[in-house]
Amino acid sequence: MSHRMTNGSAALEVSGLRKSYKVGHIVQKRRLALDELSLSVERGEVFGYLGPNGSGKTTTLKVVMGIVRPDAGSVTVLGSPLGEPAWRYHAGYLPEQPYFYDYLTPFEYLDYSGRLFGLATATRRRRADELLERVGLDRSRDVALRRFSKGMSQRLGLAQALINDPEIVFLDEPMSGLDPIGRRLVRDVIMDLKRRGKTVFFSTHILPDAEALCDRVALLGGGRLLRAGRLDEILSLDVSHLEVLIGWHGAAPADAPAGARDRSVLGERWRLEVEEASLVSVLEWAVARRGRVLSVQPIRQSLEDYFFKELVAVEPSGPWVPRD
Amino acid sequence: MGSSRLTRVLAVAANTHRETVRERVLYNLVFFAILMTLSGLLVGDLSVQQDEKIVKDIGLAAMDVFGTLIAIFIGVGLVSKEIERRSLHPLLAKPLGRGEFLLGKFAGLGFTLLVNVAAMSAGLLLTLLATRGRADLGLLKAVYALFLGLLLAVALALLFSTLTSSVMAAICTTCVVVAGRFSDVIHNMKQVAPGVPGWFVHALYYGVPNFRVFDLKNPVVYGDPVGWDVLGWLTLTALAWLSVLIGCAMLAFRTRDLQ
Repeated sequence: MSHRMTNGSAALEVSGLRKSYKVGHIVQKRRLALDELSLSVERGEVFGYLGPNGSGKTTTLKVVMGIVRPDAGSVTVLGSPLGEPAWRYHAGYLPEQPYFYDYLTPFEYLDYSGRLFGLATATRRRRADELLERVGLDRSRDVALRRFSKGMSQRLGLAQALINDPEIVFLDEPMSGLDPIGRRLVRDVIMDLKRRGKTVFFSTHILPDAEALCDRVALLGGGRLLRAGRLDEILSLDVSHLEVLIGWHGAAPADAPAGARDRSVLGERWRLEVEEASLVSVLEWAVARRGRVLSVQPIRQSLEDYFFKELVAVEPSGPWVPRD
Repeated sequence: MGSSRLTRVLAVAANTHRETVRERVLYNLVFFAILMTLSGLLVGDLSVQQDEKIVKDIGLAAMDVFGTLIAIFIGVGLVSKEIERRSLHPLLAKPLGRGEFLLGKFAGLGFTLLVNVAAMSAGLLLTLLATRGRADLGLLKAVYALFLGLLLAVALALLFSTLTSSVMAAICTTCVVVAGRFSDVIHNMKQVAPGVPGWFVHALYYGVPNFRVFDLKNPVVYGDPVGWDVLGWLTLTALAWLSVLIGCAMLAFRTRDLQ
């Protein structure tokens, strides 16, 4: 059986997606998790899906993966609607905090995953061995999964998502539970997928991950899409201050430059927060006093700040609580 | 790249079989079943001229009781544990239908029970051969009927485990299996409690699988004839119930949100 996907279409199209959950035991209410969500991901893109906890990131992925049913809206993946199984042959998915059968070994789990895609035995074994090596689990190939740490399970989760050499990969918080080496590994895998022309859709609430990897991002809050586009475009709009680091060869001057909003002393260095309009005068002031300008960086608003501001603007009474 | 429905169902079945044979509870139950069968030898020695019947009776009863316990207590965890632990999530993202998953789970535990029942039957027949000089192959008719009953218990466990938690599923399955084994009591409820509405008694009697019909221990042990027509009718009855129970499980599971 062969499953060809339409090449011209977007990798992922979400339109008017709405999902609510029942909450409460005796008196049941519906909690809105996604509200009229629409977005589009192009083929070959690394797309970051950003938002604070409870913003609807995981729900979106669960809807796409068929784990929960949407109340309304439509989703197409690689040109196929959700109900058609064809696209699943070309997709991989790493769930948030994955749990795998503790009675299996990683090799057995990958073999099982490969069987569900109809891969031939030789192909399954070859890919399983390659992927275990890729995610650094080759030495734990035959260790029961009950002995795995959270980080090791996360690595296996990444491996099983790639067993079918997918065209599009959905990763839900892929860096969660990983040590710095594991995080680097996930970044490398994502960059490698991009080099090979694959589409990567990953959710995170960690800004540096998104900055390092994504072509475009979507920002989600309270189940709604707040912004979509390049991350630097979105956040640089709010850059109003700069951080200037100055090193002093000898004694630091007694005065402070006009235009510096804040000053902190870090040993022989000063950290100044400067308004954009005062930057030149502050630099001239430092050079005149034989200071060495070590760096000038925009003070970027944190993602959390951005969300808070955006959500308060939309919903002043309670930005973090999904509405009933 | 592609996989057929059958390939996927067999993949889930093979993994479920592997899961069940790696469950400690299975070995505990099998151990007690063997112990109970062997105890039949001891009890048989104490009785006069009833020894063979007692060995057969206790051997079949052990198969039945422990097979049912395996069917219920492993069966209820098949789906509910997957939902609770979310191990199902990465599977459903693959080209695996929810119905295929359920069928694979049923087939996997069914195969484990088949292996168990076959091994215990072989043990019982060998025990009879070694101690009484002959093995009664007629026992296999009772074993076959018993196995059909076990499959029904697995299907019930599967149905309840798609609807509720493991604990609730175990309670519900046990209740229905026990009720099905006492279906004659349900049938005679009207005589015992005339106040109970007739429609309720009928609904209960026909709505619960009659597990008594799968119990051929007495006729087989006492040498009464059990014709192939009886086995054929039992097979059809079991197939009908299996279709209903697994069909209902599929319907319930198809629309369920797995959070």
